[in-house]
Amino acid sequence: MTLIEWVELYVMSPIAIASIVVGLFFLFVAAVGVLRLPDVYTRSHAVSLTDSLGAFFVLGGLALYEGLSTNAVKILIVLILLYLLNPVIAHATVRSAHRSGLKPWSREDA
Amino acid sequence: MKSNPLAIKTLAFFLIWLLLSESFDWLHVSMGVLCAFGVAWFNRSREQTRFEIPRARIVWYYFWLVGRILQSGFHLSKLILHPSLPIDPRMIRQRTKLRKDAGIVLLGNSITLTPGTITVEVNSDELEVHAMDAESAEDVTSFRFDEQIARVTSSKETA
Amino acid sequence: MKIFFLIVLITITLLIVVYLYRVMRGPTVFDRVLGLNGISTKAIILLVVIGTVYGRVDMFVDISTGYALINLVGSLAIAKYLEERRELANDAD
Repeated sequence: MTLIEWVELYVMSPIAIASIVVGLFFLFVAAVGVLRLPDVYTRSHAVSLTDSLGAFFVLGGLALYEGLSTNAVKILIVLILLYLLNPVIAHATVRSAHRSGLKPWSREDA
Repeated sequence: MKSNPLAIKTLAFFLIWLLLSESFDWLHVSMGVLCAFGVAWFNRSREQTRFEIPRARIVWYYFWLVGRILQSGFHLSKLILHPSLPIDPRMIRQRTKLRKDAGIVLLGNSITLTPGTITVEVNSDELEVHAMDAESAEDVTSFRFDEQIARVTSSKETA
Repeated sequence: MKIFFLIVLITITLLIVVYLYRVMRGPTVFDRVLGLNGISTKAIILLVVIGTVYGRVDMFVDISTGYALINLVGSLAIAKYLEERRELANDAD
């Protein structure tokens, strides 16, 4: 067993598993938020939590699991693409809601 | 950058092709050159897009942004999982002192990417931001992002 | 390791059901668009995990990249189409 194999088996894999579990936790929190929160604007915060933190930890963990290879680089490309495109989609959805005159929920209405 | 935009675009697309296809035999490489040139040629009328190379500080900015995202992500998770749901959503209007389009785009994207704040509307220099509670709103009103981005895009801009 | 990835797959699939509830329930059309956006983000993550399970990450990453781009175009088209429609904001619950 070479040193690189040893590092991949006993150092990288546990870190990767821990990272994926943390990512799943954030995905779970976002799902709870989508169920609990009162209106479109607040729910979009929950969805943005999924996009940024859940995808970051899950895809980062998978890239660590792949080790040093082109596969890891490709997974990072998907991550960068998500980071570039998801804010645009979230902004477009919320802006169309705002321009249609949807009132944001606030403490006083409840 | 003004010398030959078509060649630069072709080169950029070709590098992306090489990264995604991973095959280096002459058939795939020549197909890649053809496709890259074709895409660049179809988009030759978009030459007026100003292309600026950001300063090297942008790498540091991305690490700083990931740190901010982690911090406000934990804050938002606490809000969502709290049994009584202690949210206090609000709209903030704020003028930014950034002048370049690239800086404003980066600012809006960063604000939307950070959990707890989302850019709703952008006029030329006024942003309308929806924030989850006072602590998230403070992220925007403290001009934290503006200062960092002003250092990335240009030394002349003041924030 | 394979069992761990299967558990990850099942968890993400169950989370998709939550978003599907939001898509079907509404109450406004923007909630549905938001739910669809969440589902497609999860589908992208799901594709990469499936690629890791089968050892073909290179292929599945290409598929998920295409999925992300199609999702962008579709979502922008829907958002643009729904803009400035007062009657949509009023039919909440």
